[in-house]
Amino acid sequence: MEHHASLLAQWLTQVLHLSQHPWPGFAHGAALSILERYDHLLNAALAALVTMLFTALVRKNLSRIPGPLQQMFEGVVEWLKGMINDNIAHHGEKYLPFIGTMALFVFFNNLFGLLPGLSPGTSNWNVTLGAALVVFGYYNFHGMKEQGFLKYWAHFAGPIWWLSILMFPLEILGLLSRILSHSLRLFGNIAGEHVVAGIFFGLMPILLPVPMMFLGLFFGLIQTFVFTMLATIYLSGAVSHEH
Amino acid sequence: MKKFLTTAFLFTLAAVAFAQGAPAAATKSLFEGQFTAHIALAIAAAGCGLAQGKAVVAACEGVARNPQAAGNIRTTMIIGLALIEALVIYVLVAAFAIK
Repeated sequence: MEHHASLLAQWLTQVLHLSQHPWPGFAHGAALSILERYDHLLNAALAALVTMLFTALVRKNLSRIPGPLQQMFEGVVEWLKGMINDNIAHHGEKYLPFIGTMALFVFFNNLFGLLPGLSPGTSNWNVTLGAALVVFGYYNFHGMKEQGFLKYWAHFAGPIWWLSILMFPLEILGLLSRILSHSLRLFGNIAGEHVVAGIFFGLMPILLPVPMMFLGLFFGLIQTFVFTMLATIYLSGAVSHEH
Repeated sequence: MKKFLTTAFLFTLAAVAFAQGAPAAATKSLFEGQFTAHIALAIAAAGCGLAQGKAVVAACEGVARNPQAAGNIRTTMIIGLALIEALVIYVLVAAFAIK
């Protein structure tokens, strides 16, 4: 894949006078600064910053008569709460901060594809893999915390003891492949959408990319929803007690 | 039969066009590299289209019979569509990986 650094990274390179040099085995030896090379991290950090700023702003201006921003965030929190309560049987609301942060981070990352000068951090596999690994660690940790270390891992062995030698490796393989599918789905969708929008922009920069950008808005929302929903389902599978 | 022959003819034409477009890859087989990626993506997209169509048809029927359950059906449908779509996304990632 060719490497296109976002305009923000190029601009920062010029403003900060960063040195540009080729990176071995990357982008066919094009001279790039560190910000252009790790463009996705710049954009992901920016998305994290935007998430924190937005939530801090809402938090600071909390009032009994909500303004537009607070109302929007209340809607988001209500929706996440409903989703968690639908999927996790008992007291699932303690997972709300993590799930909500993940959702907002992924959402802002996806939307960066629509802003000129930025590129979505999630269109690079490294960012989505990081997010999926964090989710993976989180639900395994809480599964072990809720059910106990032995009981959590014993649940992968299946109900029949003499089949467990067959079941256990398969279940562990399935568990590990979740990281792959969880991260690749987000990455592939956003990267694909971004590439198609770029091709449309190359064909005709005026008006033609608009429907694609609308689709990008829609897909960004859907993919955030799917990512969050799957994280919740994995979490519910890990923490729910078998009866 | 006529349809099949037309398809086969178009396919050959496309193959010739591809071969002419890439003179540097003359030493390579035609089914190496980008051509494979494009065909694989087309096959995956066709299968995905059929499968997602079936899923949406079932969801629509469900909602038409019982509009009360629209919310739950929509959530389940979107999760199912995402899981179906993931297979095409794997091919897309593989296509990105093929130089």
